[in-house]
Amino acid sequence: MKPRVAFFDFSSCEGCQLQIANLEEEVLDLIKIVDVVSFREVMKEHSDDYDIAIIEGSIMRPMDEQRLRRIRNHAKILVAFGACATIGGVNKIRNQWPVKKVMKDVYGDVDVENNEFFKVSHTKAINEVVPVNYYIHGCPPNRDEIKHVITSLALGKKPEIPNYPVCVECKKNENVCLFELGKFCIGPITRAGCGAICPTNGSPCDGCRGILSKPDVECVMELLQRYDLTYEEMKSRCTIYNTGVFNPKDGMTLVRRGKNE
Amino acid sequence: MSNTMDITIDHVTRVEGHGNIVLNVKKGNIEKLEWQISEAPRFFEAMLHNRNYDELRSITSRICGICSIGHSLASLKATEDALGITISEQTEFLRRLAINGENMQSHILHIGYLALPDLFGVGSVFPLVQSKHKDSVKKIIHLHRLSNDMSDLICGRTTHPIRLVVGGFSAVPTARQLSDLKKRLQKDLTVAEEVAKTIHGVIDGFPTFTRETEFIALSSKKEYALYDGVITSTDTGKHPDYKNYQNIMKEYFVPYSTALHAKHVRESYMVGALARFNINSKQLHQNAQEVANLFSLKAVNYNPFMNTIAQMVEFVHNIEDSIKIIDQLLDSGIKDEKPQEITLKVGRGVGIVEVPRGILVHDYTLNNKGKCEKANCIIPTNQNHANIQKDMESFVPQIIDKPQNEIELNLEMLVRAYDPCISCSTHYLDVTFI
Amino acid sequence: MTESSSKVVKIITKKDLNSFVDALIKDKTHETIGVKAKGKRFVFGPLEHSRELCLDYDVTILPPKKYFLPQYEKLMGFTLGNSFNVQQSNTEKPLILIGVHPYDIIALEQTDKLYLDSQKDDFYKKRREQAIIIGVDMQQVSERSFAASMNTHVTDSGFDLLLTNIGDKYTITIGSEKGENLLEKYAKTKVAAAAEIEKRDEIQKNLASKFKKNLKVPKEEWSALLVANYNHPIWEKRSQKCMECSSCTMVCPTCFCYDVKDDVSLDLKNGSRIRTWDGCLLRDFTLIGSGEVFREDISKRYRHRFYRKGNYLPERYGFIACVGCGRCGIACLPDIADPCDVMNDLSHFERSDNTGKFFIKQKTEEVADKGLIHIPRSATIKRMEKMTESEMFFEIELDDKKSLGHKPGQFVEVSIFGIGEAPISVSSGPSASASFELVVRRVGNVTSHLFKMKPGEKLGIRGPLGNGFDVKSFEKKHLLLSAAGLGIAPMRSLIQYILDKKNRKKFKDIMILYGAKEPNLVLFKEEIDEWCKIVDVTCELTVDQCAEGECWTGCTGLITTLYPKIHLDKYDSKNTIAVIIGPPIAYRYIIKCLQTLGIMDKNIYVSLERRMKCGVGKCGHCQINGVYVCKEGPVFNYEQIKDLPEAFE
Repeated sequence: MKPRVAFFDFSSCEGCQLQIANLEEEVLDLIKIVDVVSFREVMKEHSDDYDIAIIEGSIMRPMDEQRLRRIRNHAKILVAFGACATIGGVNKIRNQWPVKKVMKDVYGDVDVENNEFFKVSHTKAINEVVPVNYYIHGCPPNRDEIKHVITSLALGKKPEIPNYPVCVECKKNENVCLFELGKFCIGPITRAGCGAICPTNGSPCDGCRGILSKPDVECVMELLQRYDLTYEEMKSRCTIYNTGVFNPKDGMTLVRRGKNE
Repeated sequence: MSNTMDITIDHVTRVEGHGNIVLNVKKGNIEKLEWQISEAPRFFEAMLHNRNYDELRSITSRICGICSIGHSLASLKATEDALGITISEQTEFLRRLAINGENMQSHILHIGYLALPDLFGVGSVFPLVQSKHKDSVKKIIHLHRLSNDMSDLICGRTTHPIRLVVGGFSAVPTARQLSDLKKRLQKDLTVAEEVAKTIHGVIDGFPTFTRETEFIALSSKKEYALYDGVITSTDTGKHPDYKNYQNIMKEYFVPYSTALHAKHVRESYMVGALARFNINSKQLHQNAQEVANLFSLKAVNYNPFMNTIAQMVEFVHNIEDSIKIIDQLLDSGIKDEKPQEITLKVGRGVGIVEVPRGILVHDYTLNNKGKCEKANCIIPTNQNHANIQKDMESFVPQIIDKPQNEIELNLEMLVRAYDPCISCSTHYLDVTFI
Repeated sequence: MTESSSKVVKIITKKDLNSFVDALIKDKTHETIGVKAKGKRFVFGPLEHSRELCLDYDVTILPPKKYFLPQYEKLMGFTLGNSFNVQQSNTEKPLILIGVHPYDIIALEQTDKLYLDSQKDDFYKKRREQAIIIGVDMQQVSERSFAASMNTHVTDSGFDLLLTNIGDKYTITIGSEKGENLLEKYAKTKVAAAAEIEKRDEIQKNLASKFKKNLKVPKEEWSALLVANYNHPIWEKRSQKCMECSSCTMVCPTCFCYDVKDDVSLDLKNGSRIRTWDGCLLRDFTLIGSGEVFREDISKRYRHRFYRKGNYLPERYGFIACVGCGRCGIACLPDIADPCDVMNDLSHFERSDNTGKFFIKQKTEEVADKGLIHIPRSATIKRMEKMTESEMFFEIELDDKKSLGHKPGQFVEVSIFGIGEAPISVSSGPSASASFELVVRRVGNVTSHLFKMKPGEKLGIRGPLGNGFDVKSFEKKHLLLSAAGLGIAPMRSLIQYILDKKNRKKFKDIMILYGAKEPNLVLFKEEIDEWCKIVDVTCELTVDQCAEGECWTGCTGLITTLYPKIHLDKYDSKNTIAVIIGPPIAYRYIIKCLQTLGIMDKNIYVSLERRMKCGVGKCGHCQINGVYVCKEGPVFNYEQIKDLPEAFE
């Protein structure tokens, strides 16, 4: 019996859904091994009878939370797909400010008080609303990892996602370390699985796959000194995808490494 | 004769983002007709507040997964405009290749996955795989792969590009990689033409609906404008004062939509492939011209359903254009150039490009520390929402006597024809932070 | 210094050297690899023209190990479904590596000792045999390198050719017939004059003075220094800055631990088994299916790397597994990975009394060449029986109808293509038949998948692996066998062997103690009842707890409650061998009980579990200090390992 799969999206750029289309010829293989019963972006048909729900996007409003809970009730397995869903992604940057301030700045004095569409709360990742079974990290996720998770689910096994930092993959690619080029890269504390694609293309890692551990104060100080970088640069890089992991109020919350997920 | 019905299409399928169509008819009278955008706003301008100039590109790229290259380029142009940076010739060539790749990828996705199923009478492209049309599906996928491989090569990654940085590229392709790409483009030009012919065979599936409206796109003396050009309107001509784009693109708030609408001299205007075609068709390369002729597509065409056909024409043009650009790059030789040097200064910059869905504007103000103080983006789909609304208002009376499911399908097809990118359009406004 | 005077030395001009390299590049029957620039650094990579070659480099980002143990390597291809279909292909071209520094040459020779032992890695072997190494004496020295202190800055072996830049020309020291033939075929050389050879010797002699970084303690003292400082606070202090990124192991020429994963294509028809580099600094390096992690603390992992290089491998092979290349010093962001810094730091401290022993000296048994170590043999599930909610009994038959040929206590790696591999102890005694039995507990992907399979379906078996019990040394002795929990499964293989009619007389009285959690988790209940009926065999069963209403006529209480019941005067403890198999936590307590009974440490045997991946002492995951559980174990004599700090943590 082929598993029945449904794709959903909330507040996102839909780049993750696009990655499914970007499987190119392999999309034809995909629809042979699973039954895609709902995929709004490319299909008209929809069914509420699915085993696996794959969710892209963050949760911004009560109406979105409701929709998400309904999906969680229908699905046996729920997969958070992409950084917006797994860790909140760039959508969480605005969580630095109170919602009221952001609303006023954006909508000014226009009255949106009673409009359902505009009832916005702080951005939440999917697992802040409902329990998540598996995660496909990245912004956008790596196509090989997407295939791995889908084939694992089709085979009935738990996907094997790296629990180690990007440096492992970056070193395997024999890249010149970006620190040696004066750039601040947060690869050392970011989850691998992307093949270190950004450092391999000359761009420092931004942590889109989520932080694995928070390093020691002394370690960070040593690093900044050794490579002549500033605290500002580090904070900046750590707050693109991981606002909230590091508390901007009192600098980095430098806690001894936490347990991996 | 006198129909009464209530149609609500929640979350139109086969479009990017969440939009609803609501139509209430009582005894043949239209009581309510709304193109509603229900997508949650994401507050991108808030995200850009006080961020470093070199981060703006990677954050704004995440406005849209399909036009991430376009957003990146508009963002870089705005930043470079603010800092007074001039990019090298090689960088410009590579960026044109990037924008071609994106245009191709987005167009073929829309044509094949989003619009074509309607012409074949199916709900999605998947059932076509088992049918007699499976060769066409394979060709569409083949062309999609070509486009993505091109963007992967130039930008490091097709969705959310990596190599595009302020002042240039963080890494460049080798001459061998470019010449291999050229061979593929030359070969696949034929495949593209075959797909065009297949669409031509089912073109009668599109309604013949027209409504006169204004079209706005970039235009340039050198070429069919995508990366660079002057804002041009079919009503008012060229507007070289690009920094005052807001005099042309006037955004306004609509209560049943989380996305802003826009207007210029009429109640609405249209942007996108059809707009570009209507303004620049004479500058299409040869094979693209021939595809346009096959469909009898001529400027100025007022049928929004022909937007999909204009996309097919552009796809062929982009292939020809890319081959020419690669030839120029190979002639001058690829250099391992570092991005231009940056000197921080206070300034405002505006970057305007054509992305698949239309004209896109990024507007940044940087302070002396290189941080963004003010940001604004005008998204193509925002500029189309009012036109969609007006088109619906004109179209519905023409189809009001059809059975309900046909009206629904026609309205959905109308929205799909625009290839809207709804999540892009729900980000917003002019924001100044104190 | 090194004695190279016995080797033939040729001389070549720089121009002719370039022609030589270009001629090599032109011959497409092999791949010509050389040191090239990559930005500000250097890497080994395919050469397109001799002008790319940078023989005056200081150090490459990655060592040449990437050509012999690739970062990602396809070990085999397979098809999914019920046919056992494995494909192996090794169509790589032979390599010519130009510009290898002496320390990297020495590192490759060290790797040979590990990968070309009695269980040779065929892929590595073929690549090594095919490759031609053209070394070059160092011209520039990285400021992080301390190879001179390690005496690896020059070498007189391990290369086919060795180039030395003597100013306007290069001397070429010929190291093998392969090298000589290569020169003859492609290069224009002359015999080197005595003065030129002298120049070469002088350069090699003076090289040491170019090194800025030096050891403060002679390298011969590393091992002793480490032995004396296992619990030194320096490990905790330095590792506090560690980011657990494992960059140090990735760039190290003498690190060669790996992991193996299965990759499946999206059509679920085909897949590959991929080998990739792993690092002991990573937390999941020792993670097993049940979720347990050995060596969890970062300070322990950090320390482990230095001990492996400075004590474990030296004890085993006689060389220090660090060649002072300096790559880890460059790669480590908080700069804590440099062994030179660590040793110099340690040398400041007083030697403590602690003489830890981290390695077990094994008898050097020449084990026959085991053939392909990675490819599993095809086997079929003959019978399955559910034993408990999470334990299933399997009878498995090898498809080639040959006996597994195992000893009691050995294990097999059960392979399910597309899912993975898991180590399972053999639960049946040795037998001539092609069938053997396993008890599988459902904990992870492989074991969960096994539960869903049916008789008639196929799987792969690698083994038998491990050392098994030395049953000869048990003869003429009483045996006290303690099994806790799932330990009864491997214990059964020993019990069946002992109770076999052919063997029973070799041993004296047998006492079997078995403790399970609850009555419904007791395994092999009927069989145990049969054992008890045999003369001079006693069995005592106990369960930790028994719920109300459950039918249980045996004892209740932890297994440790059984020992006081054993009559010491009835038991000749001096002539008793005790065997314990159970979960890690059980050992400490049971051993105390045995010692109370008067059983000597050297008569106690344990079977330990770690993450066994390769099963042949190469991937590195199962290490307990310097000991490979898959090779020197899983059966251990308690006396030998009781002082191993990581054995019973």
